[in-house]
Amino acid sequence: MLTLTIDRSLDDPVYEQVADQVRRLVVSGGLGPGTALPSVRQLAGDLGVNLNTIARAYRLLESEGFLVIRDRAGVAVSAPAKEIEHSARARLLEQMRVTLARLRQAGMAHEELLSVMQREVLALHGGKENHDG
Amino acid sequence: MGEAVVVNVALMLRVLLVGGIFLILPHITRKGLLFGVYVGEALADRATVRRLVGDWHLGCVILMVLSLLIGFGISLAGRPLAGNLTGTATLLLGGLGLYLRFHSRARGLALPVTEEQGKKATAPLVGGEPKGAGLAKLALGLCLLTSLAAFVYAMVSYEGLWSDRSLIRFMFVPSLNLVLSPFFALLALLTANAKRSVRSGSGGRSVEAQDAFRATNANLLSWFALLNCAFMTILSMEIVRIRLSGTSSLGGGFWLMVGVMAGIVVVFALFNLIRILKRYGQGGALIERGSVDAPLTDGLADNVHWVWGLFYVDRDDPSIMVEKRFGFGYTFNYGNRTAILIVATFLVLILSLIALGLFGTLGGSGQP
Repeated sequence: MLTLTIDRSLDDPVYEQVADQVRRLVVSGGLGPGTALPSVRQLAGDLGVNLNTIARAYRLLESEGFLVIRDRAGVAVSAPAKEIEHSARARLLEQMRVTLARLRQAGMAHEELLSVMQREVLALHGGKENHDG
Repeated sequence: MGEAVVVNVALMLRVLLVGGIFLILPHITRKGLLFGVYVGEALADRATVRRLVGDWHLGCVILMVLSLLIGFGISLAGRPLAGNLTGTATLLLGGLGLYLRFHSRARGLALPVTEEQGKKATAPLVGGEPKGAGLAKLALGLCLLTSLAAFVYAMVSYEGLWSDRSLIRFMFVPSLNLVLSPFFALLALLTANAKRSVRSGSGGRSVEAQDAFRATNANLLSWFALLNCAFMTILSMEIVRIRLSGTSSLGGGFWLMVGVMAGIVVVFALFNLIRILKRYGQGGALIERGSVDAPLTDGLADNVHWVWGLFYVDRDDPSIMVEKRFGFGYTFNYGNRTAILIVATFLVLILSLIALGLFGTLGGSGQP
């Protein structure tokens, strides 16, 4: 059974911790398209956090295309888009460029940067394989 | 003399039952919890904890003997009922005092790591309606409809309802039914949606244990509400029938019916309570074996938001009900406004009804 863990002692805001873990699970195939997620109230209750915190995480994931929020049917994982929109692609590539630049500026060597990128892409691919298989 | 024997036997049974529950309480809680304190899983098997639990057993036995001695002593002095009440009060108040003493000792044992653990929380990522919620909703609907119908029937059955004390004589049981039965069903629904306190990294076993325990509790409360509603509705009808026949007293047959129904409800509740305790333990403690060394998170692990280990008060937590740290079942989150509203409404209604039944004279001459 998939679980989600937050740690209030970390600097990262709780909504980001929630969004990050759901995002990873969707990308790795742990949460397949159409999988129902707990309601805002249930998840907030189980985690002992404010309702707005979970609502914010879900809204963020919805805006990123990971979740579909329907009033009555609840929250579910959305199917991956068939084609990426031109504007979304440009925005995400720009985000990646900024992240790479910041990592380079933080002292990460060129080779290390490449190796990290390769590992992350392989992890995504592996997750997809596991999900399909 | 016969009355004294019955009252003393009742006291003895009560002391044995309640004292017996006191004795087993430390053994049915989730691993890592000790007298309402999260001390950490690593400490649970150590000699200091075993010694503390041994002292608790001794304290409970002494308290039981003391309660019986006080109760029987007063009874022998010619006041059996006063002896029964004093013995019971000694047991309950003494039990609370004993618990608070042991809670304080357990606080001193809590490992520093437990503070950090209280800041973590784990939740299952599974959607859908919780198990037990469907039956609870059905029970709530049926209880509301049935108790309301019985209430209205009693109201329209008697023309002089608003005179003398007929309002109390006719409407006490239907009113009690209208408050109690839906409240039990509401408790069932809230229990089915209660917060789950999951062990982090337990591979889902802890979640399954939590879900099974929560659903069983919710189902028990739903059936209890339905049984209570059925019996109280029958009693409401019977009171109307007897009053309309012009009889001044309810009669032995009525009280026999009350006794049998109360007996069935008590046996039903006790039997199922023992069954759940034996099979699941508190919070599913007995069926999460294999994952008990994984640390508890949030609610139960959080020592900050528990007052005396008995009252959970967390304003940021939207949960209305949470699992008890010491005892059986679930308790309210007293930091939640909805929970406070539910508890306050219930207390006001039930205390008003009892006060009205005991002391009320609504209009007229006040003759019974």
